[in-house]
Amino acid sequence: MKPPRISRRGWLRSASCGLGALTVSGLAPVEASAGLLAPRSPHFAPRAKRVIFLFMAGGPSQFESFDYKPRLRAAGGKKGLKKGTLLAPLARFRQHGECGMWVSDAFPHLAGQVDHLCLLNAMSAPSRAHPIAVPMLHTGEFQFVRPSLGSWVLYALGTENQNLPGFFTIKPTRTFGGPANYGSAFLPSTYQATRLGWEGQPITKAAISNLSPQHGLTGATSKETLRLTQQLNRRLMPQTNQVQGVMESLDLADRMQDAVPQVLDLSQETQATLTAYGVDGKATDDFARQCLLARRLVEAGVRFVELTCNGWDHHSGLDRFANKAAQVDQPIAALLTDLDQRGLLEDTLVLWTGEFGRTPETQVLEGKETIGRDHNAEGFTAWLAGGGVRSGLTYGRTDELGYRAVSEEVHLHDLHATILHLLGFDHTRLVYRYGGRDFRLTNVHGEVVHDIVA
Amino acid sequence: MRCAIMNTQRALIPGLMLAAFIVTGGPAAYAEETGDAAARRGAELFEKNILPILEEHCFVCHSSQADEIQAGLELDSPAGLRRGGDSGPMFTAHDPESSRLLRMLRHDADEAAMPPDDRLPDEVIAAFAEWIRLGAPDTREDSGPTVREQRLKDSMKHWSFVPVRPVSVPPVQNTDWPRNRLIDPFILARMEAAGVRPVRDAGREALIRRLSFDLTGLPPTPEEIDAFLNDRSPDAVERVVDRLLASPHFGERWGRHWLDVVRYAESSGMEFNFTYPHAWPYRDYVIDAFNDDRPFDVFLTEQIAGDLLPAEDGDSPEDIQTRRVAAGLLAFGPKRHNSGGMEFRMDIVDDQIDVVFKSTMALTVSCARCHDHKFDPIPTRDYYALAGIFLSTEPLYGTIKQKYSNNPTELLPLGPDGAEKHRIAEAHEKQIAAADKTVQEKETRLKEAVAAEEEQKARVQEADQLLAAVTSRLEASSDTDPAAAEAERTRVEQAAAQARTELSQKTEQKAAAEAELKAAKAHLEELKKNRPPRPRYAMTARDREKPADTKLAIRGDYRTPGDVVPRGFLSAVHVPDSPPVNPEQSGRLELARWIASPHNPLTARVMVNRIWQHLMGRGIVPTVDNFGLIGKPPSHPELLDALARHFVEQGWSVKDMIRQIVLSRTYQLSTVADPDNLAIDPDNRLFWRAEPRRLEAEAIRDAMLSVSGRLDRTPPDGSSVTALGDQLVRGIAPEKIQPPSRHRSVYLPVVRDYVPEIFDLFDFPSPSLVRGRRAVTNVPSQALYLRNSAFAAQQARSAAERLLAWNPSADDAARVDHSMRLAYGRRPTDQERTAILNMIRQVRDAEQQAGADETNAVQRAWTAWFLTLFSSAEFRYLVDTAASSEGTAS
Repeated sequence: MKPPRISRRGWLRSASCGLGALTVSGLAPVEASAGLLAPRSPHFAPRAKRVIFLFMAGGPSQFESFDYKPRLRAAGGKKGLKKGTLLAPLARFRQHGECGMWVSDAFPHLAGQVDHLCLLNAMSAPSRAHPIAVPMLHTGEFQFVRPSLGSWVLYALGTENQNLPGFFTIKPTRTFGGPANYGSAFLPSTYQATRLGWEGQPITKAAISNLSPQHGLTGATSKETLRLTQQLNRRLMPQTNQVQGVMESLDLADRMQDAVPQVLDLSQETQATLTAYGVDGKATDDFARQCLLARRLVEAGVRFVELTCNGWDHHSGLDRFANKAAQVDQPIAALLTDLDQRGLLEDTLVLWTGEFGRTPETQVLEGKETIGRDHNAEGFTAWLAGGGVRSGLTYGRTDELGYRAVSEEVHLHDLHATILHLLGFDHTRLVYRYGGRDFRLTNVHGEVVHDIVA
Repeated sequence: MRCAIMNTQRALIPGLMLAAFIVTGGPAAYAEETGDAAARRGAELFEKNILPILEEHCFVCHSSQADEIQAGLELDSPAGLRRGGDSGPMFTAHDPESSRLLRMLRHDADEAAMPPDDRLPDEVIAAFAEWIRLGAPDTREDSGPTVREQRLKDSMKHWSFVPVRPVSVPPVQNTDWPRNRLIDPFILARMEAAGVRPVRDAGREALIRRLSFDLTGLPPTPEEIDAFLNDRSPDAVERVVDRLLASPHFGERWGRHWLDVVRYAESSGMEFNFTYPHAWPYRDYVIDAFNDDRPFDVFLTEQIAGDLLPAEDGDSPEDIQTRRVAAGLLAFGPKRHNSGGMEFRMDIVDDQIDVVFKSTMALTVSCARCHDHKFDPIPTRDYYALAGIFLSTEPLYGTIKQKYSNNPTELLPLGPDGAEKHRIAEAHEKQIAAADKTVQEKETRLKEAVAAEEEQKARVQEADQLLAAVTSRLEASSDTDPAAAEAERTRVEQAAAQARTELSQKTEQKAAAEAELKAAKAHLEELKKNRPPRPRYAMTARDREKPADTKLAIRGDYRTPGDVVPRGFLSAVHVPDSPPVNPEQSGRLELARWIASPHNPLTARVMVNRIWQHLMGRGIVPTVDNFGLIGKPPSHPELLDALARHFVEQGWSVKDMIRQIVLSRTYQLSTVADPDNLAIDPDNRLFWRAEPRRLEAEAIRDAMLSVSGRLDRTPPDGSSVTALGDQLVRGIAPEKIQPPSRHRSVYLPVVRDYVPEIFDLFDFPSPSLVRGRRAVTNVPSQALYLRNSAFAAQQARSAAERLLAWNPSADDAARVDHSMRLAYGRRPTDQERTAILNMIRQVRDAEQQAGADETNAVQRAWTAWFLTLFSSAEFRYLVDTAASSEGTAS
C-alpha cells in the first residue's frame, strides 16, 4: 500500500490548524519527520532565507559601540536625570563608509562594514532585568515557556538540508531560562535547537551529543547494522507510515554523522579565511571559530544559527570595553565580508543584539575599582545586516543623553515581527494551536518596521 | 447586578452634586429635581450628540454589527455600553475626569487612542464629558441579550457542559463480533454504518506485548509469553490482564501518565531554576494511588484539598499525611522565585487554576485571567472567584532564602515522628547558630585580649625605658637632691612593676580568652557533628489564616483592581448538590467536591477519555486537555457517556475502566491495515484496527534495560534531587542532575529544562506545561542516540553478554530467536533469521579482521545485533507483525 501523500498546500492548511495537524501526526498519514521539516511556502516573497543571531549576552553598552552621543561626552561628570552622574563615552566615535555611520573606535573592523549594517539605535525591550529580558528576547515571553525564535523560524521555513538539523545554537548560556531559550516548548521537538557546546566551554571542545559512536564497533559494522535495521523496518511499512519516518531518521542520522563533522571541520577553510576571521588570534580565536561555523552551517542550508558571546554586562570594567569588543569585532566583520563574497548576505539575515543596553550614567559598584553602567531597556542599539534590510541606514534615535528611544523606536516585539516579515511570514498568521489558543511569537504585540526593509 | 449597584452608590456621592447641594442648601427634594433635570438634559444630549457619534465612529468595531467585536465592547446596546469592554467599564457616571472613555477620546498617552486614526473635534469630546457628568443616561432599551450574553448562553449548550446521560446499547448486525456490551457494540455500530469492517484480532504475541507495555510499560519476558501462548483456556487474556493490573509496575506506568497531566517536576523552572528536593513524595503518592486503585474522585479531591479533608474513623496518621502529600500538586508548579509579592502569588494562582482545570475538566480556565474566555462560557469573574480560593491557599514548596529566591516556605515533615524530628533538628540548628555566634564573640574577645596584651607589653617597655633613663640621669648628675632622686626612682620603679603586674594579668586574660574560644569552637564542632537526623519532607498546601474573596484584576493586572468577586466555581457548569464555599476556609474542599462530583458533566468524561487515549492511541475526544468549544467533538459521544457512567457507577475505579477497555474486542484488534477501510476512514477514527503506536521515552529506556538485564525493578528510595539540596540548577554539573541510574524511568529526576537526554529526544512533554497527549516525532537525533550513545552501547554490550551466557548449548539461531523475543516479543521469520545470522557472521569476521580476538569479535557481533534491535522501528512500536502475510494491506 502506498501511503497517501499530503500536498504541501494541504500540509500548510493543516499546519495552520496547528494541533490538528501536528499532534495528530501520530495518526494522520503525514511523514513524521520530513513532513515537519519540509521547506514551506511563505505568506509572501521572502527577503531572507536564514538567520544568524549574534547574541551579545549581558547587554552591551551602546555608548561605547554604536550610539554616537556628543552631548553626553560634553556632559560627562554632570548630574544625570536619574540618580547618578553622567558618564562620557569611553570610546571615540568616527564616521565611516559611504553612509557616514558613526561607530566607536572599539569596533575598527565592523567600522569597515557599515555599508552593510542597518543600525537600530532606538531599540526598546520590556525589562531591564536579565532573567526577564533574556527569555523575552529569545521567546517573546518570560512568564511562560514559549518556543524560541529559532524554533518558530524552523517551523515556518523547514530545513533546506535534510542532512543537518535546521536550528543550531552554539555555546548557549545556561542561565536565565537556559535551554528554554532555544527550546521548542509546545512545538514538536523537531524544532528545538541542536546544541553545540555550553557557555564557558572552549569552542574547540564543543560537541554534538551522540554524533560519535560510543559502541567501539568499526565503521563497516555500523553501516551493516543500519542496513539490517532498515531491512527489518521495511516489514512494518504496510502498518504505519510512521515507519517511513523512522527509516528516514535513521538515514538522516547516518548522513549527519558524515555531514556534521564535515561542516564543523574548519580545517577545510583556507589559511586566508582563518586569518581573516581571527582564528588563532589571542582575543578572537573562540568567537572567530564560532562565526566561521555559523557561515559554514548556513551555507550548508541550516536555517537558524545562534552564537552567544557572554561578558557584556559592564557594571564595572567598562574601561576594558574595547578588549571585549575586540573578541567579536574582527570575527563578525569577517563573517559579513565572507557572506557577502559568497553571495549569501543578500538572503541571510544577521542580527546583533544584547537583551538590552546601558544607561548614560556612571555606576560604581562597591568593592570594584572600575566603573561601569547599569542596565537600560528603554533605549539601546541592535543592528541587522543582509537579508533584505536597508543597509547603511541608521534608524531611530535616543534622546541626546541616551536615556530612552525618542523617535523611530523599535520594540523587541517589532524586531521579532520584522524578522518574520523578512523571512516571508506575517507574524500574526504564523500560529500554532496549543491548549485551546493560537500562539504566536509576538503574542498580541509587534508591528513590522517597514522603514528598515529594503 | 452587582455592578449596577456599585455604580448607583458611587453616583450618590460625587463631589459635583455634593457641592451643588451645599451651595443651594435646599431640601433633598430640590436636589432630586435637579438630578431629574440633569438626567433629562443628559438624555437629550445622548440622543442628539452622543449616539450619532457612536454610530458613525465606533459601531464599526464595537457593536454587534462589527465583523469581529473589538475589545469585547458592544456599544449598540445599553447593557453593552454600561458594561464596557474586556478591560472593564469605560466611565463612571457623573465623574468625567476618572473616566477612561475621555482619556481615549482625547488620545491621552496612557490609553488606546479612540477612534484610532483621527481625534474627534474638541466640542464632541466636550459633549461626552458633559454627558458623563450628567450621569451618562442611555435612552435606548435592550432589545435582547448582547452578543456576549448570547454567546455565553449558547456556549453553555456545548456538549461537554451537558450532563452525562444514560445511553442505550446500539443494535449491531454482526452480533457475534462484540465481546462486551460496554464498548464493542458502540464501536461496531458506527463501523457498520460507515461500511467499514473490523480487521482480524491481534496475534497472541502481539497482544501480550501490547498489554504488557500498556499496563506496565515493560516488555513481556519470554517466559510470560510462553505461559500465555500455552494457556488455551478462554480466560487466558483475562488472567494476563489481572496479573498485569496487580503488578506494582502498573502504578509506575499509569502514574507517569498522570504526572504528565499535572506537569510534575523537581525544580522551579523559569529564568532562575531552583531545585525542588522534596517533590518526589508526590510522585510516589501518585504511583501508589494507581497501584491501590484509589477511587479517582478521591484521588482528585486529595490533590486539590487533601489537607482539608476531615479525618474519618479508621484514618491512620499515615492516611492523613498521604492526603497532605497529595496536595503537593498545588506546590511544585513552575515559579519565578526571584519575583515577590502579589505578582508572585498571582502567577502561582494562575498556574494552580490552569493545572487543576486542565487536568480534571479539560478546560482552559486560565484564559479568563485578563478577559472573558474567547470561546468557552468562562467570564473573568469566574476566574477571580477561583483566584480567591487559591489566594486563600498557601502552597508549601520549601526553598531557602538565597540570591534570586525570595519566598521560602515551610514543608511537610514526613513520618510518624517527622514533626518531632523537624522540631529537634530546627532547635539544633538554632543551637548551632547560637554556638556560631558565641565563637564569633569569643574570637572578638580574644582579638581584644591579644591587643590589650600587646598594648601592655608596650607600656612595660615604656616603663622600663623610663626607669633606665631616670636611673642613668640620676647616676650621671650629682647635684640633685638624693632624697628627691630616690623618690623619683622609686616612683618610676613602682610604675614599671605595676605595668608588669598588669601585663601578667593581661596575659592571663588572653590565655583565658584562648581557652574560651577553643571550648566554644569545640562545642560548635560537637553540635555540627551531632546534627540530629532530619525527617523527610514533602511539598503540600494549606489554608491561609484569613481566607478571603479577591478583587477582579482588570486586564489581568492586579494593580488595577475591580469589584470583589465572591469565591465560587464555574458559573456555566451546573453541578447539583454541591456545597458552597465555606467562608471559614479557602474553599478548596468544596471546589474539590464540585469537581469530583458524579454530577460534574466533565470530570468523569475527561478521565475515561484519557484512559481510552492511552490504550487506543487517540481519545474519543482527540483534544484530551480541551473539552471546550475549541476542542474537537467526540467521535463516539454515546460511548464516551457510557464509559463515563460506568466509571462513576463502579466507584471511579481506574483499574476497572482499563480492564473493561483492554478486554474489549476493539482493543484486541490487530494493527494491520485494510485498503478498503483506509479508503473510507484513513485516520482510523472508527477504530477499525488497533492504532500502531510508538512507545514513550520511558518505555523505550525501560525496554532497553529489560533486554540488557540491567533494569533494577525496585523503586529507588526517594530522588537523587534531594541530595542536591536547595540550589540553582545551572550551578549543578549535568552529570549530577542526571546521575546514572538503572531504575525505571519514572524515577529519573524531572528537573525542568534538564530532563534525561532520552526524554528530551523522545517527546517527553515539557514539565512546565500541562499536557495529556504527547507528540510523536521521528528525528535523527533519536537515531543517533539509539545507535551511538554510551547508554545504548552499554545496554547492547550487557545484552550480548547476557545472551551469550543464557544457554551454553544454544546455537546462534537459537540466540537470535531468544534475543528477538526479548526485544520484539516474537520469533523471527525464517527470512529474518537468515539475514540476521548473516549479519552476525559478517560482523564477527570483519571485527576479527580488524584485530579483535574471537571472543571479542563474537561479543561485538552480538552487540551490533542488539544495537540493530534497539534502533529498529519494531522495538519502539506496538504493531502486530505475526502472520503479517494474511493481514498485509499492500
